[in-house]
Amino acid sequence: MVRNKAVLLGAILLGLLGILAIALVREATTASRSTTLTRGEPLRAAARPALTAAEESYAVALWPMHNEIKTSALKMTLGGLAYKLKEIDRATMKAQVDAANETYRRAEIRIRKLQPPPSLQKLHAEYLDAVGLYKQSAAEMVRVFKDGRDEHLVAAFPMSKEAGEKILRVGNTLWPGEYVPN
Amino acid sequence: MTKQLRLLALLGLVVLAFSIGPTGAAAQAPLYSVWLVESSQFKDVPSGAFMPDRVFVPGSSSPMNNQAFMQLPVNVGVIKGGKDIVVYDTGWKQQDYLKMTNSVHWAPIRQQLAQLGIRPEDVTKVVIGHGHWDHAGQIDEFPNATLYVQKAELEGIQWALNYPEPHISAVNTSPGGCARSPACGYPPLTVDQIYGKILRGKAVIVDGMMEIAPGLTIHPAHRAHTAGSQLLQVNTSIGQVLFGSDVFSSWEGIRDWMIANPQQTDTVQQFLAYEKCYKITGGYQNCVAAHEPLSYSEKYPLTRNSWVGPNGSRAAELVLAPGEKSRRP
Repeated sequence: MVRNKAVLLGAILLGLLGILAIALVREATTASRSTTLTRGEPLRAAARPALTAAEESYAVALWPMHNEIKTSALKMTLGGLAYKLKEIDRATMKAQVDAANETYRRAEIRIRKLQPPPSLQKLHAEYLDAVGLYKQSAAEMVRVFKDGRDEHLVAAFPMSKEAGEKILRVGNTLWPGEYVPN
Repeated sequence: MTKQLRLLALLGLVVLAFSIGPTGAAAQAPLYSVWLVESSQFKDVPSGAFMPDRVFVPGSSSPMNNQAFMQLPVNVGVIKGGKDIVVYDTGWKQQDYLKMTNSVHWAPIRQQLAQLGIRPEDVTKVVIGHGHWDHAGQIDEFPNATLYVQKAELEGIQWALNYPEPHISAVNTSPGGCARSPACGYPPLTVDQIYGKILRGKAVIVDGMMEIAPGLTIHPAHRAHTAGSQLLQVNTSIGQVLFGSDVFSSWEGIRDWMIANPQQTDTVQQFLAYEKCYKITGGYQNCVAAHEPLSYSEKYPLTRNSWVGPNGSRAAELVLAPGEKSRRP
């Protein structure tokens, strides 16, 4: 009887050890697999200090305006480009640039209402600078409509280029994987 | 008299054949020297993201599927011959605002060209395979060069931006990530660089195929990576060499008929572009890939004559024109 009990206890103990061993093996395998699978994609961001919750909220709030501004900046550039290539006339270019400028104006109002955390005050100001530069660039471009002088496009160009650098710089902090290898 | 006339006519025909036939054209075209420099390297790109057929399968022993990540060079072609120094693709500019954390070995293009004895000011033509930021990101480093870009590339961006469905017109597909939508990959700053060349009257908008100099021909490869991708055929002493930018993202892909880097790619068009390389160069050996992980190694023979340059970036001497001295240190 005692012997039977000892055998039973031994079997239970062995079973428990087996379950423990299987669990350990599975745990180790799952951990290594998930590390391997996910390592590649977030690595770009992983090397940077993570955003705080407040910074993250600001990044999320700015994102829709950022999209609108980028889209408008591209449309404005392509408008100037199509005009220079004689694909569109002055009036069409003006309409495109005016539409972009209106987007900048409305986005700027919304951005000014955002409350950035202290750590992002400088970056917030830089983004507003960029929007201001885009607006100035647009104002300069539409002068072509009045006098037909393409020099306005040349004068407008450095402003939009500087704005483009600024929004990239902000994006590098807030959305580090904004542009992936392609 | 009749015999003399016949002889003269025959001679005339021979001269004519040599002057207008393909042999004549090739004989007249200069032979170019070709180098490759590595603008930077993208580290640890998931294999499946680059080549879907090579997606990593945990535990797989197949060489096709046992590699989790790939190290992708960003290759820039440098071509010298005749009166021209041509750059095919420009790489990208790593400044404090665009510091891709997973990029290594970036060096200023001026330093990278210096090892070839070339200054950016000496470059006469810049051909961009397409307008993505990592290929058209340093156009303004070449102040005297004329830019060659496909009309379809510019139209493609315009089309995408004005498309009514927001998922298609998106300049970013998700917060912190830009990949598959057709206007992705074109930051305003990059498109501004193309526009800057047009403003200065230093751009040629190419509509299809164009010979830009004797022995240098642009071939359209529309939708084979982006709407207006283009290839560059170069006449060299080892035969025709064909640069493909991201249409030829992977040389192994061309060799083994696998698609690569499918961003805004029509995969059928990519395969047709692969076929074009086989037809033009007579095989796959002379197809020059933009992001081939085997670049600068024996495994990609065209690029094996390589060395390490500024900041650990690599360079390769693909072929030299007669009389051109080697730049290999």
